[in-house]
Amino acid sequence: MPKKKRVAKIWDAVPGYDFIEEVDLAAIPSWFLDGTHSVPPLTPLFAYQWARFCSHGFKAACYKLGIPTCKGWEIRIFNGGIYCGLHIVRDQKEIAQREVKFRQALRPWLEDFDHLWDGYKKELLGIYDKLKELDVDRATNLQLYHHNYDLMEAYMRMWEIHFIGMYSSFNTWLLLEALTKERFGLSDQEAEFQDMMRGFDNKVYQMDKKLWEFGQLAIEMKLANIFKENKPPAILPKLKQSEKGKEWLKQFMDYMTTDDIGGWRMQHFTDFNEPYWLEDPATPIGLVKDNIMRGNSYDLEVTRVEIAKKRRAAIAAFLKRVPPEEKELFEGLIKLAGKASSYSEEHDLYCELSVHALMRRGYLAMGRKLAQSGTIDNPEDILMLNPDEIDRVIMVPEANDMRWLTRRRRAEWEKAHKTTNPPVLTRRASLEEAINLDLLPSRDAIAIKIVVGEMPQPKPKLKANLWGICGCPGQAEGPARVVTKYVELKKVQPGDILVCPSTNPTWTPVFGLVNGVITDTGGTLCHAAIIGREYGVPTIVNAQKATAKIKTGQRVKIDATNGAIYILDK
Amino acid sequence: MSPEKLIFSFEELGREHKQLVGKKCANLGEMLRMGLAVPPGFATSIAMYRRFAKETGAAAEISGYVSQLGQLKSKNIAVFDEMSRKIRGMIESKKMPPALAKMIASHYKELEKKGEAPDGAVSVRSSGTESRPGMFETYLNVVGIEDVLDKIKKVWSSAYTARAIALRVNKDIPVTGDELGVAVSRMINARSAGISFTLDPITGDTSKIIINSSWGLGEGVVSGDEDVDRFVVDKKTLKIIESSTGKKAKKVVNKKRGVEWGDVPSKQQSALSLSNDEVSAIAKLALFLEERLGRAQDTEWAINADAIPPDNIVLLQTRPAGLTVKKPESVTDRMIDLIVQKFYRP
Repeated sequence: MPKKKRVAKIWDAVPGYDFIEEVDLAAIPSWFLDGTHSVPPLTPLFAYQWARFCSHGFKAACYKLGIPTCKGWEIRIFNGGIYCGLHIVRDQKEIAQREVKFRQALRPWLEDFDHLWDGYKKELLGIYDKLKELDVDRATNLQLYHHNYDLMEAYMRMWEIHFIGMYSSFNTWLLLEALTKERFGLSDQEAEFQDMMRGFDNKVYQMDKKLWEFGQLAIEMKLANIFKENKPPAILPKLKQSEKGKEWLKQFMDYMTTDDIGGWRMQHFTDFNEPYWLEDPATPIGLVKDNIMRGNSYDLEVTRVEIAKKRRAAIAAFLKRVPPEEKELFEGLIKLAGKASSYSEEHDLYCELSVHALMRRGYLAMGRKLAQSGTIDNPEDILMLNPDEIDRVIMVPEANDMRWLTRRRRAEWEKAHKTTNPPVLTRRASLEEAINLDLLPSRDAIAIKIVVGEMPQPKPKLKANLWGICGCPGQAEGPARVVTKYVELKKVQPGDILVCPSTNPTWTPVFGLVNGVITDTGGTLCHAAIIGREYGVPTIVNAQKATAKIKTGQRVKIDATNGAIYILDK
Repeated sequence: MSPEKLIFSFEELGREHKQLVGKKCANLGEMLRMGLAVPPGFATSIAMYRRFAKETGAAAEISGYVSQLGQLKSKNIAVFDEMSRKIRGMIESKKMPPALAKMIASHYKELEKKGEAPDGAVSVRSSGTESRPGMFETYLNVVGIEDVLDKIKKVWSSAYTARAIALRVNKDIPVTGDELGVAVSRMINARSAGISFTLDPITGDTSKIIINSSWGLGEGVVSGDEDVDRFVVDKKTLKIIESSTGKKAKKVVNKKRGVEWGDVPSKQQSALSLSNDEVSAIAKLALFLEERLGRAQDTEWAINADAIPPDNIVLLQTRPAGLTVKKPESVTDRMIDLIVQKFYRP
């Protein structure tokens, strides 16, 4: 043991997963900020669960699939931000051994992705149904004690499935990109490539369509004015005042409760501190309202059909350039890469958004128990504890006072909102060196295409103010709307250019509203890029400091095809 | 060797001359030094191409054209096709400068005079300083000095096939970064031909010698398009431990000029294209090359129909053997192979 004064800090924000420089930098030389999932800062309970089980999912999937060059990631929490350290396999012999397993494990995914993913979806829905069986409001302390473990077990399994699906689908996207680049000089940041990867029918789109249909239904039932004249929270009570309103609401709530996902999705992707739809139906009702406000000119169905048509034309045009003997290979790869795009989107609903909703439900119930006994100040303070601490106090809460801890952690968490996390914690000389030595040799598809992203390549001739990479090609202009939290999303106006740290599926509906999107982080397979392509909205991702450099209200022009951002009012 | 000398008999060359005449020519010279049977011939140096390009103005034309193209990195294959057409035209449309034509003609005549190419038939092959399999052109059964001069220009210009340009652009090698030497050697009237490996290209086994063989010229075996006879020889005992007959329906044969695919008579289709003695002799040669060159070899050979055993085995080229990936059976296999090769191999 080193003779340093302090090594473990067991009562810090996220015990066991707090970043401790002298220990963690010695084990893994560089830890990279996961900017996509770290803004705003995470609550300690969420950070604990994420650090523990998301990293487990990485390691389990790398083991199961035998990823030759990477054994997964470790996660540490620093100042409310997620930092990832990769286990890179550097020994050539070991890489070769892992390759044998990888070849076997990848095959079934290439042969029948849909079937395997359907099986996993069913497994997850089965786990969620069991969790839903517990009536958390009437549960005893002992039942809640067990529920804490059931939630963790569900979370563990969710992350295993999440990454097995992700690693196996992303490899084909990467291969297609490498081959089109090598043979046809075509990268995945170009329109010709991206047009082949849009217009898929998946759960995210099906749910958006359903909400759009509920808007059409409200118009047919002559309820449109209730939606137009009221703010979302007031719409629900107003609907209850008429028979027709009650009928509409019944149909709507039926969908929210009986659909596989329905209302079991979080508003905010990476934390437990905002409600899920079923808990606060004002959120999905607000989306129905947005659809009604847009009027008849907005027809989701028509846009989608056009994009799908464009996709088929783009694939046919591309295949004409492919030599006949390679046609089958490219056709197969395009199909599989399309599944990567679709999976990247759809899995969020079946994985994170659903399970986080159930975890919020369960932990808030525990929070209410603890708050009633005075163990913590209010139910939401449960988010300042971790599962071990909850385990310790939940059986006899009245005998425990945890406020000294929840108050201190809440103060720290609030303070973290005011600071920015560095992109890397490293013992290397620079960010570039850290990337070159401790990230790229992992060949990790998820790191390259989502979490860290490829670096923008400025084109000096275009004289832009900021640079990112193309998520969805096209040009757009409009007033900037800088949004860092989901709650601020309500301020977005039609025609805005949305500027944000990153987006997630809960942000999807706003893509129907804006002229363009700029994100600070992400790669060509991140959420904003995929949804930008699905909705035909010019999108630039990985623009690094866009939210810091652009102010709401400034006029902004984007040339997404070239990754160029122009600030017109300075 | 004086730097002005632009053309060499194979006898003058050895493995130290890879930069001068390219790898293929240097290796042929090296094999001759070892006393092995190599078809007689000569090599034009890379400097000869440079002189040709300078004197005819082709070099200036090409560099002028390339410099106005700008960034090529993300261009598609249609652009490279167009470049290829233009640049190959710039080379092939030039007349061979008389001084160079004279040197080549004199070496070509030398081959005829020796009585070694009575009908003047030669092969004209590319010889680059870097190994770029399948990127450049080869011409077989070339007859007459005019045709030889023409085909040498065509080999030079094949440095600019669209696939070769795309490869260089993607590897950040300058567009004009491959300049070629040329090997001109007497055509062999091959009864059978093929390849030997001193390392199993699929399993990596180094205890055996693998020989693939077919009727006619070796092209069908080299390209891997045709079913072939396969022999496995134990390196220690030199015994044939396995021999299997492939159904050899087609073979590449000489026509008056150039070559063509012809039918194999039905009786010969399932007959072995090598005798046991020939297999042993080829195995010994392969082992000899491996020992002398210090690493596993992939060697092309032919059985000369006009010579009498045991002097009828001719070596056409040798190079370090590597592992080739097993020919995949399905699209899924190819995807897996490609994913592994592109992302997970150092």
